[in-house]
Amino acid sequence: MLIKKNAAPGNAFRQLASPVARHLGETMDRRAFLRRSGLGAGAGVLATQLPYNLIGSADAASPAAAPATGGGEGEEVVRRTVCTHCSVGCAIDAVVRNGVWVRQEPVFDSPLNLGAHCAKGASVREHGHGEHRLKYPMKLVDGKYQKISWEQAINEVGDRLLKIREESGPDAVYWIGSSKHSNEQAYLMRKFVSFFGTNNMDHQARICHSTTVAGVANTWGYGAMTNSYNDMQNARAMLFIGSNAAEAHPVSLLHILHAKETGAKMIVVDPRFTRTAAKADYYARIRSGTDIPFIWGMLYHIFENGWEDREYIRQRVYGLDKVREEVMKWTPDKVQEVTGIAEEQVYTIAETLAKNKPSTVVWCMGQTQHTVGNGNVRAMCILQLVLGNVGVSGGGTNIFRGHDNVQGATDVGPNPDSLPGYYGLAAGSWQHWCRVWGVDYEWVKGRYASEELMTKSGITVSRWIDGVLENPADIDQPGGNLRAVVYWGHAPNSQTRGAEMVEAMKKLDTLVVIDPYPSATASMAAMVRKDGVYLLPAATQFETSGTATASNRSLQWREKVIEPLFESKPDQTIMYAFAKKFGFADELVKNIKLVKDKQGWDEPEPEDILREINRGTWTIGYTGQSPERLKLHMQNMHTFDVKTLRANGGPCDGDYFGLPWPCYGNPELKHPGTPNLYDTSKHVMEGGGNFRANFGVEKDGVSLLAEDGSASKGAELQMGYPEFDDVLLKKLGWWDELSDAEKAAAEGRNWKTDLSGGIMRVAMQNHGMHPFGNAKARALVWNFPDPVPLHREPIYSPRPDLVDKYPTHEDKMKFWRLPTLYKTLQDKVRDISKEYPLIMTSGRLVEYEGGGEETRSNPWLAELQQEMFAEVNPKDANDAGFRNGDYIWVESPTKAKLKVRAQVTQRVAPGTVFLPFHFSGWWQGRDMLEYYPEGAAPIVRGEAVNTATTYGYDSVTMMQETKTTLCRVAKA
Amino acid sequence: MKPRFPLRLPAAVAALLLLAGCSEEPQVVQYEQGKYQGKADSRPWEGGTFNGDKAAWERALHERVRSQNEYQRVE
Amino acid sequence: MARMKFLCDAERCIECNGCVTACKNEHEVPWGVNRRRVVTINDGVPGERSMSVACMHCSDAPCIAVCPTNVIYHTAEGVVLHDKDGCIGCGYCFYACPFGAPQFPNGPAAFGARGKMDKCTFCAGGPEENHSEAEFEKYGRNRLAQGKLPLCAEMCSTKALLAGDAAELSDIFRERALRRGKGFEAWGWMTAYGKDKEEAK
Ligand code: SF4
Ligand code: SF4
Ligand code: SF4
Repeated sequence: MLIKKNAAPGNAFRQLASPVARHLGETMDRRAFLRRSGLGAGAGVLATQLPYNLIGSADAASPAAAPATGGGEGEEVVRRTVCTHCSVGCAIDAVVRNGVWVRQEPVFDSPLNLGAHCAKGASVREHGHGEHRLKYPMKLVDGKYQKISWEQAINEVGDRLLKIREESGPDAVYWIGSSKHSNEQAYLMRKFVSFFGTNNMDHQARICHSTTVAGVANTWGYGAMTNSYNDMQNARAMLFIGSNAAEAHPVSLLHILHAKETGAKMIVVDPRFTRTAAKADYYARIRSGTDIPFIWGMLYHIFENGWEDREYIRQRVYGLDKVREEVMKWTPDKVQEVTGIAEEQVYTIAETLAKNKPSTVVWCMGQTQHTVGNGNVRAMCILQLVLGNVGVSGGGTNIFRGHDNVQGATDVGPNPDSLPGYYGLAAGSWQHWCRVWGVDYEWVKGRYASEELMTKSGITVSRWIDGVLENPADIDQPGGNLRAVVYWGHAPNSQTRGAEMVEAMKKLDTLVVIDPYPSATASMAAMVRKDGVYLLPAATQFETSGTATASNRSLQWREKVIEPLFESKPDQTIMYAFAKKFGFADELVKNIKLVKDKQGWDEPEPEDILREINRGTWTIGYTGQSPERLKLHMQNMHTFDVKTLRANGGPCDGDYFGLPWPCYGNPELKHPGTPNLYDTSKHVMEGGGNFRANFGVEKDGVSLLAEDGSASKGAELQMGYPEFDDVLLKKLGWWDELSDAEKAAAEGRNWKTDLSGGIMRVAMQNHGMHPFGNAKARALVWNFPDPVPLHREPIYSPRPDLVDKYPTHEDKMKFWRLPTLYKTLQDKVRDISKEYPLIMTSGRLVEYEGGGEETRSNPWLAELQQEMFAEVNPKDANDAGFRNGDYIWVESPTKAKLKVRAQVTQRVAPGTVFLPFHFSGWWQGRDMLEYYPEGAAPIVRGEAVNTATTYGYDSVTMMQETKTTLCRVAKA
Repeated sequence: MKPRFPLRLPAAVAALLLLAGCSEEPQVVQYEQGKYQGKADSRPWEGGTFNGDKAAWERALHERVRSQNEYQRVE
Repeated sequence: MARMKFLCDAERCIECNGCVTACKNEHEVPWGVNRRRVVTINDGVPGERSMSVACMHCSDAPCIAVCPTNVIYHTAEGVVLHDKDGCIGCGYCFYACPFGAPQFPNGPAAFGARGKMDKCTFCAGGPEENHSEAEFEKYGRNRLAQGKLPLCAEMCSTKALLAGDAAELSDIFRERALRRGKGFEAWGWMTAYGKDKEEAK
C-alpha cells in the first residue's frame, strides 16, 4: 500500500483522489461550528475521500535513536523539524517511511512548546501531500499558465533579467525575499542580490515589525524581543496591546496562561475583544491608531503617583525629561477624548503594571502597522524603562514576531538598508562582508550601477508598486522605474493598495514568482497580463535543512524531512542555478561546499552557509551558533529548563536553548547565548549585558554612557564605557592579552569587524566587559522625525477635528528612493469620514498564516475557515440594513469593493469593521479561479482585505498603514 | 504477527471485572454485557508494541499523562 | 484499571483548533467528518469560553443502548468503540448522543465503509488486529496500543485538553484549580456537581 516516491522530475508522485471539493458550494460561518458539517443531520454533506495510502506502523522510533539518514524499505525514521507557521518555534517529530512523511508526533521535550501545537502546527504534515502546490515551472502564455522545463525557466528568466540589467541597470529589478526562508537562505539571498548589483530587495519584516526593529534598536541597541515566551512565566503583570496572541501565537498562551494561573495579571488593550481578551483579567477598548496617547496616559498616572523607578532611570535612561514634558500634556480628559478609554481604566492598568513588577508588555502588528508605528513602539519602550522593567527577567518588551523566521531574515537576510547583521551599507560594512565572502570589494562595487547606489537604501516591499508606477523623474535612482519583480516567498495580498498593485503588475516587463504556493501572485498577474510571468516551484522548509530564529532569538536546526516534492527545489539551489546563469556562481559560494542533489543539481550546503554567517555576523552575536552546537541542542531538548531555557547538565550544560543571539565570540568561546537582553544581574559570559553604546558617548554635552555603579555583573569597570576597538584595548592595557594572530587581525578594527574575535574574547572572558560598551537607553531618539513620540492622527482618520489638532508629518520627497505623501493627502481626505464613516482594520485568524495561500491549500485547515468575512457591530449592521451571514460590500476610499460575509458581532465596537488578512482569490466580488495555474488554486478563496487598503507609511521605515483606514458597508 | 485475543470481548470484560471487582465500581454498564454482537477486539497491550506486557503499557501511558501536565516541568 | 476520559479546561482553551487538526492529521479523517470540534459560547463578549468536544466515552453510553445491531461496545479501559462491519448506518446513535459525536460520512468508502458511523475512537483503533492496515482504514490509528494518548490532547496548544486515566487527569486539574484560587471551571463541572458546591469552594 505504501507508494514509494519517485525521485525523477516530472513524475506525479502520487495519484490522489480528486482534490478536496475545490468548488465546495457550502459556506460556513466562522462561529457556527455546531451547525457545521459533522452535526448537520449527521449528513457529512461535504464528505469526500482522502486516500489511505499513507499507513504508519506501530511505532515512532525515539528521536534520539533515529539515524541521520536512512529510511530504507519499510524502515521508519524520525526527523526533528520546527513548525514553519509562526515565531513560537514549536518542534515537530516527523515520522518518515520510504521517503513518505507518514506521521507527526508531539515533541514533549521541547522547552519552547512542550509538545503543543495550534491548528497550523498540528497540520504541517500536509506539506508532504502538497496537492495544491505548484508542481513544475510554468510560464504565462496568452493568458494561460503552461508547463515548462527548469532549464527553459532558468534560461528565459535569466535572459530577461540580464537584458533589463543591461538596458536599465541592476536597480530596475526588484527582489522580494522571504521571512519563511531559513537563515541560510535569507543570508544567501542578501549576498545573491548584492552580486546582481542592487539594494532593491526586501521581505516580510518591512510590513511586519520594521518599526519595532528600528524603534527598539534606536532606543537601546538591538531590534528584537528582549525576553522570551518562556520568561513570561516570571512576569507578574502583562499588557498586550495590538497583539492577539491567542490567534497569532497560540502556543505562547501555554506560557502566558500558566503565568496567569500562578498569579500574573493579564491585561489586553485592543480595538477588538479578541480571543486573547477573552482570557484576560482586564480589557480596555481603544480607538485604532491612538496607542501613543494611551501610553502617555498611563505614564501620566505613573509620574503623578511617583511609581517610576528613579534609580533605574538615573543610571540607565537618557533624555526622559523631554518625554515627561510631552506626557504631562496628556491629561486624562484628553486621553479619553482621543483614545476612548476612560480615566479610571487607564489608571487601573498603569497601577497594575507599576505595582506588580516585573511586568512585561507584548505588542504586534496592532502597534507597528501605522504611520506612527515607530513612535508607538518607542512609547512602549519608554513605559518599560520608566518602570525599570527592561533587562529584568519577567519584564522586558516581548515583541512577538510573525513568521517562523522573520527574526532571522531581519537579522541576516535581504534588507534594503543593511548587510547581514545590521552592518549598514557604508563602504566599511561592504569591506567587512567582502572579506568574509572572500570576494574583492572592487568587484562587488563594479556589480552596482554606482558607488552611490551601493550605499543607498533600496525601495521597500511596501512601495514596490510605486517604484513601477511613479513618474520616473521623481524616483531617486538613475534607472528610473522598476521593470521586473521577483516574488521569492512572499504574498502579494499582504501589501496594501492592492487595487494599484494590479496596475503595477500590468506595467512590469517581467514578473517571476518562486514559491511552493505562488498562486495569489500568479492569479493576480494572469488577470491583467497575457505573458511575461514565470512561476518556479520552491521546496518548503521540510524538504531542506537549515536554521530558523524564533521570536525569542533562539536558533533551531531543522532536519530535512522528505525529498523535495514534484519538481520543486530548495531556494538555495535555485539561487545557485541563477548565479550560474548570471555569471557569479563562484563568487557566491567561495567558502561554501556544494552537494549534488538527486537530479544532479548543485546545492550550497546549509551547514557551510551557517558557518559563513558565524564568521561574519559579530554585531548581533550570530557567531557562536555553529551547526554542531545547534544540532546538539535539538537532540537534547529535555535537558533545558522551561522557565529559564538553560540546560542543567548534559552535553549542553549551561547553554540557553537555541543559543539565543547574541551568542558572542567563536563557537569555541562557548558563550551560552542571551536569554534576556540587557540583564545586568548576570555576567556577560553567562548571558548578561547592558544597554548598547551605539550612538556616541555624549550628546550636547550630556553623557550617554551608563552611570557609575551600573554595569553587568562581574564587569571589571562598574561604570559606563564605549564600545571596544583596538584603541580602547590598548588604552586599557589589555592589548597583549591577544595572541599574535589575533593582534594581526584586530589591528585597526573594532569588535564588529575583528574576524578573529580576539577583541571580543579579551573584553568578555578576561574582563567581564560587554564588547558593545555600556550606555543608557535613549528615551529621546534625536535622529527620528519625532524624537519624542507624538500622537498624529492616521491619514484616513474618522475624526477631522483631531486631524486639525494632531496632524501627520510633512510630505517627504526622497524617502527610500520615493516621494511619500503625508500632510497633503491627509488634508485632502480630511472630511472623507462623512462618506466612509467606519474604521477598517485587519488581523489574524488562528487557522491561517500570512497571505494564506499555503494554509488555505491545506484541507485540514481550509475546512475550518471556509469563507472571508467582516466583523461588524450589530449597530452598524442594522444601520446599513443587513444581517449576520449576509453578503456585504466593504468599500474603502480607494473605491475598491470587497464582497464578504457579514459576521455581526460585538467583538468590534460600533464604528469599527474588522477583516482577516489571509484571503485572496476573489477580486471585487469575482472568483479568480480561472486565472490560477491548473491544479494550484487553494481550496478556500476570498477577498483580500488589502485590495481595499489605502495609502499611508511610517515616517522612518516605510511600514504600511493597515490597521487604521476607513470604509463603508452595504448589503450586497 | 501477534496472537489474536481468543476470547470474545464481553468475556474479557467479565474476567477483568472479576479481578477488579472487590475494589472498584464497575465502569462498564451491566446491561450491555453479553449483548455486543460485533467483532472481538484485542487489548491495547497485545500485539506489536507491548507484546502482552501490560505493566509496560501502563507505565508508558502514565508517562504520557504526565507529559500533559506542564507543572511537572515548570515551577 | 485505567478509565479513559477527556477533560477540557475552559480557562485555557483558546479555540485554536489544534486538537481538531491533530485528529485530522493522525487519522487522515476526510473533509466533512469531524471527530472533534470546538464550541464557543458568548462569542465576542466578556464571558467567552471555548470547549473542545468529541465523543465523551460515556460510562452509561446512550449510543450503546440504542444501537439495533449491538455493535457499539465499551473496552475495559472505558473507551466506546464500534464495529463498522456490523454497522448498518441507521443513525440512531447520532440521535441518542448528547454531543453529536457520531458522524456519517457519505463519501465512497470513507473509513472503509459507505455511510457507516464514524466517531472519535480515543485513538484506540477498533475491532481489528492492532496496528493492522484494516484497523487504520476503518478506524484510524491505534495510539493507545502504542502506549500513547490521543493526539488531540497531546498536541493541545495550551494543554487545555487532557486525556488519559480519569484519576490522573483530576490530579492535574486539581493542581491548576488550586493555583488559580478560583472555582472549578471545567466543562460539565456545574452540571455534574451543581452551583452550590461551586460556590462553596
Ligand atoms: S504556528 Fe506557531 S504556535 Fe502554532 S504550532 Fe506553529 S510555531 Fe507553534
Ligand atoms: S488545541 Fe486545546 S486550546 Fe486549542 S482548541 Fe483544542 S482544546 Fe482548545
Ligand atoms: S481521541 Fe483521537 S480520534 Fe478522538 S478526537 Fe482525539 S485525535 Fe480524534
